[in-house]
Parts: sequence; structure tokens; C-alpha cells
Amino acid sequence: MMGMTWYFIGLVLGLSLYVLFKLRIRYGLEWLPLTLCGSGIGLILFAAAWGVAAMLEGVPRAASMGLLLFGLPGIVLTTYGARLIANAANLSSEGSDA
Amino acid sequence: MSKDNEKDTKANETPSANDAGKSRRNFLKFGLVGAGAAAVVATGAVAVKRMQGIPHDEFPVELNDDFKPIDQRNQINVFCGSKALNEKHPERTRSFNEMLKKEDPANYKPFDFYATRRAFMSGPYRDAPGYGQLDRALAVGGFSSARQQLGGGSMEAPNSGVSSWEQTMLVDHKYEFESPAQANTDIKSAARLYGAIRCGITKRDKRWDYDPMYSVSEEKELSWEKDFPFEPKSVIVIMTEMDYPAMATAPAWIQDATVGDAYANAIKIAGQITIFLRQLGFKAVASMNDLGINAPYAIAAGLGEGGRNGQVIVPEYGPRVRISKVYTDLEFVEYDKPRTYGVASFCLNCKRCADSCPSKAITFGDQTWGPEYSTDPDYIWNASKGILKFHNDAKKCAKFWIDNDGSCGNCIAACPYNKPDFWHHRLVDAQNVIAPGPVHAFMREMDIFFGYGNVSDPDKVHRFWKLGDKV
Repeated sequence: MMGMTWYFIGLVLGLSLYVLFKLRIRYGLEWLPLTLCGSGIGLILFAAAWGVAAMLEGVPRAASMGLLLFGLPGIVLTTYGARLIANAANLSSEGSDA
Repeated sequence: MSKDNEKDTKANETPSANDAGKSRRNFLKFGLVGAGAAAVVATGAVAVKRMQGIPHDEFPVELNDDFKPIDQRNQINVFCGSKALNEKHPERTRSFNEMLKKEDPANYKPFDFYATRRAFMSGPYRDAPGYGQLDRALAVGGFSSARQQLGGGSMEAPNSGVSSWEQTMLVDHKYEFESPAQANTDIKSAARLYGAIRCGITKRDKRWDYDPMYSVSEEKELSWEKDFPFEPKSVIVIMTEMDYPAMATAPAWIQDATVGDAYANAIKIAGQITIFLRQLGFKAVASMNDLGINAPYAIAAGLGEGGRNGQVIVPEYGPRVRISKVYTDLEFVEYDKPRTYGVASFCLNCKRCADSCPSKAITFGDQTWGPEYSTDPDYIWNASKGILKFHNDAKKCAKFWIDNDGSCGNCIAACPYNKPDFWHHRLVDAQNVIAPGPVHAFMREMDIFFGYGNVSDPDKVHRFWKLGDKV
């Protein structure tokens, strides 16, 4: 079960890095939105792996605490980074319209 | 120069100044990223190295001139099991009863080490999770194999069953190991095959041997010089694991089952290693809790570090292990070095075992040279002196076992080092070995916050009895 978790986490991580790389090229993103999104996605995946491991060992409370302490800041960081990327995308589209 | 020309010159200069600024910023940025990456790698390397333990040339616990080998007659389980010793030392029972009366006069009941010990694990079933007929049957079944292997004797009995001193199956021809290092690896390879989770080899050290030894069944002292069949040179220390979900039910009777089961595995492996050595032409004797004290031998063999609860804290397992030993006259072997893993520092700040101890036998204080719970010689008869460690009151611990009609295990279940083998626990272990003391206190709180180490939890009993679905 843990092996499958690592496999899917690897897939999601690879896909996320690919998407961030593409966005950087397309909108010429600065380091801040990339760092925020990257850290956020990292934390979310860490929380997911923590949660699965804690459930497998039979400590559901550790799973929920892990999701809360690592997953929530991950969501906040990813959301903020995504908003910065959206702003950059809007500016870029406005520039091309002009 | 015309104004137009001046403008052109400035226009030409400005981008180059910007480029230089950008280049400096990029340099700084890359420098910072590089420094950060180097710091992470260096910290990781330090953590990995410390998790493998820092090797020491000497025994990593301080001793002074007051230290003496322990007389096995003063070992608490031996004393509790021996009618002759109880009759010889009535002052010990009297002194313990005085303490009980003083500490809790309202609930005081006279206590007799020997009489209550005889009734151990045979009292009535209770109407509480983990204390029913099913749980008792599991515990007695768990212990049955160890008892059979030891010829019906206790874990402390010398020269009994598999740990017999008779050198059966000893061959005349002595096998020549390639090198001391190869001898070390060969013995450990055999131990791994037989089922050991850890194995270490150390020099025989008289400081850790019981002297004299004592046979409760015969009610007589045994001497290393007169009775033991050879002069041991080396001690092979073997560890087996206790089941995490079973230990988590502590102090319910289910945890007794895994204690007994791990004892059975430990003595089985020690017996097999004994025959393995005799077939190589070396004299050997298997030992469970007899002959010598397991904890210092395990520490000397580099397998772990002494914890507040008096047990050996083993990386990845914590105190959730049982230890057996093999004494042998094989000398041509490389000895493992004792190692420290940051446990002493963690234990100073944690105290979860002391919090969870139902009999308050575990000290909340720092390491001392002797017991601080009493100065009465009739009370501290079983305590060691002249060794800087956490001194706990084994008599209170034994009393709870008897009151509980099983053993306890709370200090094992509550220990933050006691975790199953999952990646996130290894990550926390890595963090703990590099973090300073105040962080350890924080990690203890996090351990509680995340729901680990609760004791007397009926849910864990129910969960244990559902695990059969997975087999």
C-alpha cells in the first residue's frame, strides 16, 4: 500500500513540476509564485504520504493531525502561488491584447 | 559633444548598469540557493551519521568506585520467586510495606513478595477490555514456548532447558575463521537467519555478570569459578521484536502475550547460536535473564542506549525488544563498539514513561549515581550503585505486575521511540538526533498531540483482536 502511495505521489509530483515549468516558460514567471506553488504542492504530497502511513499503522489521529498541520499550509501556499500565476497570466494576456 | 550624442551615450550606459545589477542579484540568488542546498545536504549527512550511532571506545555510561556486580539473589524476580530468600530477608518485605502504608494509608493492603508472586497470572478474569479469558489464554499461550524451552523454569533461571550448561553437541575440531571481522559477520549472519532483529558481539565483562548467580529451583548460589563449565571470553547479544499492536494494549494482558512470544524467540535463537558455536568447536551457553544483566551487555555491543525506563532503547524499535545472550569461549572475533544515539538527551526531556508508569516506579529526575527514592538499606537492597543512570524502583514495578495479575508494559508502549517501521517515524528519528534538548520536549508534546503512546486504551484492545483479518 505504501509502495503504491509513493508511486502516485511520484506521478503527481512529476506532473506538477512539468506544469510549473510550462507556466514559467509561457508567462515568464518570477521565483515567488513558483516557490510558493512548489512548496505548497510538496507539503500537500507530504501530508498525503503521512496520512496514508499513519492510517496503515492504525493511528487515525496522527493521520488527521498530519493532514491538518502539513496539508493545510500546503493548500494555503498553493492557492496563493496559483493566484500570483493567474495575475501574471492576466497581465500577459492584457499585454498581448494591447 | 551635442545633446543628442550625450543622450545616446547615457542610453548605451544604462542597460549595461542594469545588466551588472541583475547579474549581481542572480549571483546572490544562486549563492543563497546553493548555500541552502548545501546546508540541507550537510544536515542530512549529520543526521544519517548520528542515527547510525556515535561509536565509543569505552562503555558510554560513567561508573565510579562504588560500582559492584549485582548479586543475583537481589534481582527482583529472583527474590520474588524464592521462598528461602524471602524467609532470610523479612526486613525487605517489612520495609516495603512501611513505604506502601506511608504513601497511601487509605488503600494499604499488606504485601508479600513471595506469596503474591506465586499467584501471578492466575487470578480471576475481569470485566474490562484486555482482561478476559481470551486475553489470559493469549498471554499464557504466549509464554508457554519460552517456559517449555527453559525446562519450565523462569526467565532468570540459570542452567535450565535450552540454557543448560552441559556442552552437548560440542565437536572436537575448532573451526578457523578467516579473520575476527569475518567471525563477527558469520555469527551475525547465523543470528539473522534464526530470526534476530539485532545482534552484537562484545567482550565478556564481569561488571555485568551476576556474581554469585542463584538457582531458585535449587535455592542455591552458583559460582563462575566452581560451577560454570568454562571461562567465557565473549558475549553475543541477540534481540527479538515484540509486536507493536499487542504492546500498544498495555497494561492489558495482551501485552504479556507478546512479551512471552518475544522471550520464546529470543531463547530459541540463543539456543541455536549456542549449538552453532559448539558445532564449530567452541563452548557456549545460552542465557535469557540469567548469568548477566542484559541492558549493559546490549549497550556494550552497540545495540542501543539506556533509557529512563531502565531498558535499552534500540533505534527503530525503541524499548520494544527482548534480549538474550550467548556466553562463549570464542575469542577470535571482532567486538562491536558501544554507540550512542542521542537517547540519554531525549530521555532527560521526555519523561513519558514516568508519566505513564502506574506504580510511579520510574524517576522523573536526572541521572544519579544511586537510588534517590530511599536511603533505607532494607529498602534499596536491589538497587545498583556507582553508575550514572536513571535509578528506578523495581519493587514498585513488581508490585503493579502482581496487582495487575500480568506484567505491565506501559513504559514501553508510551515511549516515543517505540514506533512501527514507517518512513515518517524514521524522519522524526533523524530530526531528534540533530535537534537540541528543548526540541525534544516539543517532540514529546507532538507525540501526544498526534495520538501516540496512549496507555490503558480499550480501543487498542478491540483493534488488536481485529488484526486476524489481515493474516
